Amino acid sequence: METLRCMRIEDRPAGETPAGKVDPSPMFGAWFNTDKNTGGVVRMELRESGGRFVVQAWGAGSPELFDWGETAATAHAANVGSREGMAFSAVYDFGFVETFLAAYTKSGILVLDTFNTFKDGSGRADYFTREFFHR
Amino acid sequence: MQAQRISRARDFLTPAPRPAATATDLAPLVGTWVNFDVASRGIARVEIADRDGELIVRAWGTGSPEPCDWGETVGEAFTDGVALHAAVAFRAVYDFGALRVMLACYLNKRLLVVDAYSVFQDGSGRSPYFQRDHFYQR
Repeated sequence: METLRCMRIEDRPAGETPAGKVDPSPMFGAWFNTDKNTGGVVRMELRESGGRFVVQAWGAGSPELFDWGETAATAHAANVGSREGMAFSAVYDFGFVETFLAAYTKSGILVLDTFNTFKDGSGRADYFTREFFHR
Repeated sequence: MQAQRISRARDFLTPAPRPAATATDLAPLVGTWVNFDVASRGIARVEIADRDGELIVRAWGTGSPEPCDWGETVGEAFTDGVALHAAVAFRAVYDFGALRVMLACYLNKRLLVVDAYSVFQDGSGRSPYFQRDHFYQR
Protein backbone atom coordinates (compact mmCIF):
# COMPACT_ATOMS: atom_id res chain seq x y z
CA MET A 1 0.00 0.00 0.00
CA GLU A 2 1.35 3.40 -0.96
CA THR A 3 2.05 5.80 1.88
CA LEU A 4 0.23 9.10 1.55
CA ARG A 5 2.45 12.14 1.68
CA CYS A 6 1.59 14.31 4.69
CA MET A 7 2.96 17.67 5.75
CA ARG A 8 1.03 17.79 9.04
CA ILE A 9 -1.14 15.43 11.07
CA GLU A 10 -4.40 16.77 9.61
CA ASP A 11 -3.36 15.57 6.13
CA ARG A 12 -3.88 11.94 7.22
CA PRO A 13 -7.37 10.56 6.57
CA ALA A 14 -9.04 9.13 9.68
CA GLY A 15 -10.61 6.33 7.64
CA GLU A 16 -11.89 5.58 4.16
CA THR A 17 -12.26 8.70 2.04
CA PRO A 18 -15.75 8.92 0.51
CA ALA A 19 -15.94 8.96 -3.28
CA GLY A 20 -16.52 12.17 -5.20
CA LYS A 21 -15.53 15.79 -4.98
CA VAL A 22 -16.21 18.47 -2.40
CA ASP A 23 -19.80 19.68 -2.76
CA PRO A 24 -19.85 23.49 -2.83
CA SER A 25 -23.66 23.73 -2.74
CA PRO A 26 -23.91 24.42 1.04
CA MET A 27 -22.34 27.81 0.20
CA PHE A 28 -24.56 28.57 -2.82
CA GLY A 29 -26.68 31.69 -2.80
CA ALA A 30 -26.49 35.45 -2.44
CA TRP A 31 -24.35 36.87 0.36
CA PHE A 32 -24.58 40.48 1.55
CA ASN A 33 -21.97 42.48 3.47
CA THR A 34 -23.01 43.11 7.07
CA ASP A 35 -21.50 46.62 6.72
CA LYS A 36 -23.88 48.67 4.56
CA ASN A 37 -21.20 51.37 4.17
CA THR A 38 -18.39 49.11 3.05
CA GLY A 39 -15.88 50.37 0.52
CA GLY A 40 -15.00 46.80 -0.37
CA VAL A 41 -17.15 43.93 -1.57
CA VAL A 42 -20.86 44.69 -1.26
CA ARG A 43 -22.28 41.33 -2.22
CA MET A 44 -21.42 37.97 -3.73
CA GLU A 45 -23.22 35.17 -5.45
CA LEU A 46 -21.93 31.62 -5.24
CA ARG A 47 -23.33 29.12 -7.71
CA GLU A 48 -22.69 26.46 -10.29
CA SER A 49 -22.20 27.71 -13.84
CA GLY A 50 -21.37 25.44 -16.76
CA GLY A 51 -20.51 22.62 -14.39
CA ARG A 52 -18.06 24.78 -12.43
CA PHE A 53 -18.26 26.33 -9.00
CA VAL A 54 -18.10 30.09 -9.53
CA VAL A 55 -18.24 33.28 -7.53
CA GLN A 56 -19.54 36.63 -8.75
CA ALA A 57 -18.74 39.66 -6.64
CA TRP A 58 -19.75 43.31 -6.71
CA GLY A 59 -17.41 46.03 -5.44
CA ALA A 60 -18.60 49.23 -3.75
CA GLY A 61 -19.13 52.09 -6.21
CA SER A 62 -21.37 55.04 -6.93
CA PRO A 63 -23.81 55.42 -8.60
CA GLU A 64 -23.47 51.76 -9.58
CA LEU A 65 -21.67 48.86 -7.98
CA PHE A 66 -18.67 47.38 -9.83
CA ASP A 67 -19.74 44.04 -11.24
CA TRP A 68 -16.60 41.91 -11.13
CA GLY A 69 -18.15 39.12 -13.19
CA GLU A 70 -17.74 35.42 -12.62
CA THR A 71 -14.56 33.64 -11.70
CA ALA A 72 -13.92 29.98 -10.94
CA ALA A 73 -13.63 29.05 -7.28
CA THR A 74 -12.17 26.05 -5.45
CA ALA A 75 -14.32 24.59 -2.70
CA HIS A 76 -12.71 23.35 0.51
CA ALA A 77 -14.10 21.05 3.19
CA ALA A 78 -13.35 21.11 6.92
CA ASN A 79 -11.00 18.10 6.67
CA VAL A 80 -9.58 15.61 4.18
CA GLY A 81 -12.42 13.12 4.71
CA SER A 82 -15.34 15.52 4.35
CA ARG A 83 -17.17 16.29 1.09
CA GLU A 84 -19.17 19.23 2.45
CA GLY A 85 -17.91 22.58 1.17
CA MET A 86 -17.43 25.24 3.85
CA ALA A 87 -14.70 27.46 2.39
CA PHE A 88 -13.42 28.59 -0.99
CA SER A 89 -10.61 30.41 -2.72
CA ALA A 90 -10.71 32.33 -5.99
CA VAL A 91 -8.77 34.97 -7.92
CA TYR A 92 -9.83 38.04 -9.91
CA ASP A 93 -7.26 39.59 -12.21
CA PHE A 94 -8.41 43.04 -13.28
CA GLY A 95 -5.13 43.88 -14.99
CA PHE A 96 -4.26 46.81 -12.76
CA VAL A 97 -4.97 44.87 -9.55
CA GLU A 98 -5.14 41.20 -8.67
CA THR A 99 -7.55 40.26 -5.92
CA PHE A 100 -7.27 36.93 -4.17
CA LEU A 101 -10.38 35.81 -2.28
CA ALA A 102 -10.07 33.46 0.70
CA ALA A 103 -13.37 32.77 2.44
CA TYR A 104 -14.97 30.40 4.90
CA THR A 105 -18.39 29.93 6.43
CA LYS A 106 -19.15 29.56 10.09
CA SER A 107 -22.48 29.61 11.93
CA GLY A 108 -24.32 31.02 8.91
CA ILE A 109 -21.82 33.83 8.34
CA LEU A 110 -19.38 33.99 5.46
CA VAL A 111 -16.02 35.59 6.28
CA LEU A 112 -14.17 36.98 3.26
CA ASP A 113 -10.51 37.96 3.24
CA THR A 114 -9.17 39.74 0.17
CA PHE A 115 -5.48 40.14 -0.69
CA ASN A 116 -5.09 42.92 -3.26
CA THR A 117 -1.91 43.44 -5.29
CA PHE A 118 -1.58 46.49 -7.55
CA LYS A 119 0.25 45.99 -10.83
CA ASP A 120 -0.15 49.47 -12.35
CA GLY A 121 2.75 51.33 -10.73
CA SER A 122 0.30 53.77 -9.15
CA GLY A 123 2.11 53.65 -5.82
CA ARG A 124 -0.91 52.28 -4.02
CA ALA A 125 -0.03 49.85 -1.28
CA ASP A 126 -1.09 46.24 -1.66
CA TYR A 127 -3.82 45.80 0.92
CA PHE A 128 -5.85 43.28 2.89
CA THR A 129 -9.52 43.35 3.85
CA ARG A 130 -11.69 41.19 6.07
CA GLU A 131 -15.46 41.42 5.73
CA PHE A 132 -18.50 39.53 6.95
CA PHE A 133 -21.53 38.44 4.92
CA HIS A 134 -25.00 37.12 5.63
CA ARG A 135 -27.45 35.48 3.27
CA MET B 1 -2.90 63.10 -14.70
CA GLN B 2 -4.09 59.59 -15.39
CA ALA B 3 -7.26 58.56 -13.57
CA GLN B 4 -6.86 55.76 -11.07
CA ARG B 5 -8.52 52.54 -12.09
CA ILE B 6 -10.56 51.05 -9.27
CA SER B 7 -12.61 47.91 -8.74
CA ARG B 8 -14.28 49.20 -5.56
CA ALA B 9 -14.33 52.40 -3.51
CA ARG B 10 -11.52 51.19 -1.25
CA ASP B 11 -9.07 51.13 -4.16
CA PHE B 12 -9.24 54.91 -4.50
CA LEU B 13 -6.28 56.85 -3.13
CA THR B 14 -6.67 60.49 -2.20
CA PRO B 15 -5.20 63.06 -2.24
CA ALA B 16 -1.86 61.86 -3.68
CA PRO B 17 -0.50 58.42 -4.39
CA ARG B 18 2.00 56.92 -1.99
CA PRO B 19 5.48 57.21 -3.55
CA ALA B 20 6.18 54.07 -5.54
CA ALA B 21 9.55 53.72 -3.86
CA THR B 22 7.98 53.41 -0.42
CA ALA B 23 8.13 49.78 0.58
CA THR B 24 5.67 48.12 2.89
CA ASP B 25 7.08 47.86 6.41
CA LEU B 26 7.35 44.14 7.18
CA ALA B 27 8.40 44.60 10.81
CA PRO B 28 4.97 43.90 12.36
CA LEU B 29 5.06 40.38 10.86
CA VAL B 30 8.68 39.49 11.53
CA GLY B 31 9.49 36.98 14.25
CA THR B 32 8.72 33.51 15.51
CA TRP B 33 5.06 32.62 15.87
CA VAL B 34 3.93 29.61 17.91
CA ASN B 35 0.53 27.91 17.77
CA PHE B 36 -1.57 28.54 20.90
CA ASP B 37 -3.11 25.10 20.53
CA VAL B 38 -0.57 22.50 21.56
CA ALA B 39 -2.95 19.80 20.26
CA SER B 40 -3.27 21.39 16.81
CA ARG B 41 -3.09 19.00 13.87
CA GLY B 42 -2.15 21.83 11.50
CA ILE B 43 0.81 24.19 11.59
CA ALA B 44 2.94 24.17 14.73
CA ARG B 45 5.17 27.19 14.17
CA VAL B 46 5.91 29.91 11.65
CA GLU B 47 9.04 32.00 11.32
CA ILE B 48 8.89 35.19 9.32
CA ALA B 49 11.92 37.22 8.26
CA ASP B 50 12.59 40.40 6.31
CA ARG B 51 15.44 39.51 3.96
CA ASP B 52 16.40 42.59 1.97
CA GLY B 53 12.76 43.64 1.74
CA GLU B 54 11.46 40.17 0.87
CA LEU B 55 9.07 38.46 3.23
CA ILE B 56 10.50 35.01 3.94
CA VAL B 57 8.14 32.49 5.51
CA ARG B 58 9.15 29.17 7.09
CA ALA B 59 6.50 26.89 8.54
CA TRP B 60 6.54 23.63 10.47
CA GLY B 61 3.63 21.22 10.23
CA THR B 62 2.60 19.15 13.22
CA GLY B 63 4.17 15.70 13.25
CA SER B 64 5.50 12.98 15.46
CA PRO B 65 8.10 12.57 16.75
CA GLU B 66 9.24 15.85 15.16
CA PRO B 67 7.37 18.70 13.45
CA CYS B 68 7.64 18.63 9.66
CA ASP B 69 9.86 21.43 8.34
CA TRP B 70 8.19 22.91 5.28
CA GLY B 71 11.21 25.01 4.37
CA GLU B 72 11.18 28.57 3.16
CA THR B 73 8.88 30.31 0.72
CA VAL B 74 8.53 33.94 -0.29
CA GLY B 75 5.35 35.64 0.89
CA GLU B 76 3.54 38.79 -0.17
CA ALA B 77 2.80 41.41 2.49
CA PHE B 78 -0.32 43.56 2.66
CA THR B 79 -1.25 46.74 4.50
CA ASP B 80 -4.63 47.81 5.86
CA GLY B 81 -5.26 50.31 3.03
CA VAL B 82 -3.88 51.79 -0.18
CA ALA B 83 -2.18 54.73 1.59
CA LEU B 84 -0.66 52.79 4.48
CA HIS B 85 2.79 51.29 5.02
CA ALA B 86 2.66 48.84 7.91
CA ALA B 87 2.11 45.19 6.99
CA VAL B 88 -0.94 43.62 8.64
CA ALA B 89 -1.28 40.47 6.55
CA PHE B 90 0.52 38.17 4.16
CA ARG B 91 -0.11 35.43 1.68
CA ALA B 92 2.28 32.60 0.87
CA VAL B 93 2.10 29.41 -1.15
CA TYR B 94 3.81 26.07 -0.58
CA ASP B 95 3.78 23.62 -3.47
CA PHE B 96 4.95 20.20 -2.28
CA GLY B 97 3.96 18.44 -5.50
CA ALA B 98 1.42 16.11 -3.90
CA LEU B 99 -0.07 19.01 -2.00
CA ARG B 100 -0.41 22.76 -2.51
CA VAL B 101 -1.05 24.93 0.54
CA MET B 102 -1.98 28.59 0.37
CA LEU B 103 -1.50 30.44 3.64
CA ALA B 104 -3.78 33.46 4.08
CA CYS B 105 -2.66 35.20 7.25
CA TYR B 106 -3.38 38.40 9.16
CA LEU B 107 -2.62 40.09 12.45
CA ASN B 108 -5.44 40.57 14.94
CA LYS B 109 -4.18 42.59 17.89
CA ARG B 110 -0.91 40.74 18.54
CA LEU B 111 -2.27 37.41 17.36
CA LEU B 112 -1.34 35.94 13.98
CA VAL B 113 -4.23 34.11 12.34
CA VAL B 114 -3.19 31.55 9.74
CA ASP B 115 -5.82 30.17 7.39
CA ALA B 116 -4.47 27.27 5.34
CA TYR B 117 -6.24 26.34 2.09
CA SER B 118 -4.88 22.93 1.06
CA VAL B 119 -5.40 21.16 -2.26
CA PHE B 120 -4.09 17.62 -2.90
CA GLN B 121 -2.62 16.99 -6.33
CA ASP B 122 -1.76 13.32 -5.90
CA GLY B 123 -5.04 11.65 -6.86
CA SER B 124 -5.40 10.26 -3.33
CA GLY B 125 -9.03 11.36 -3.10
CA ARG B 126 -8.36 13.54 -0.09
CA SER B 127 -10.58 16.62 -0.07
CA PRO B 128 -9.22 20.12 -0.42
CA TYR B 129 -9.58 21.50 3.08
CA PHE B 130 -9.52 24.64 5.16
CA GLN B 131 -7.82 24.92 8.52
CA ARG B 132 -7.36 27.86 10.88
CA ASP B 133 -4.74 28.23 13.58
CA HIS B 134 -3.84 31.08 15.96
CA PHE B 135 -0.29 32.00 16.92
CA TYR B 136 1.45 34.11 19.55
CA GLN B 137 4.81 35.75 19.08
CA ARG B 138 7.65 34.19 21.02
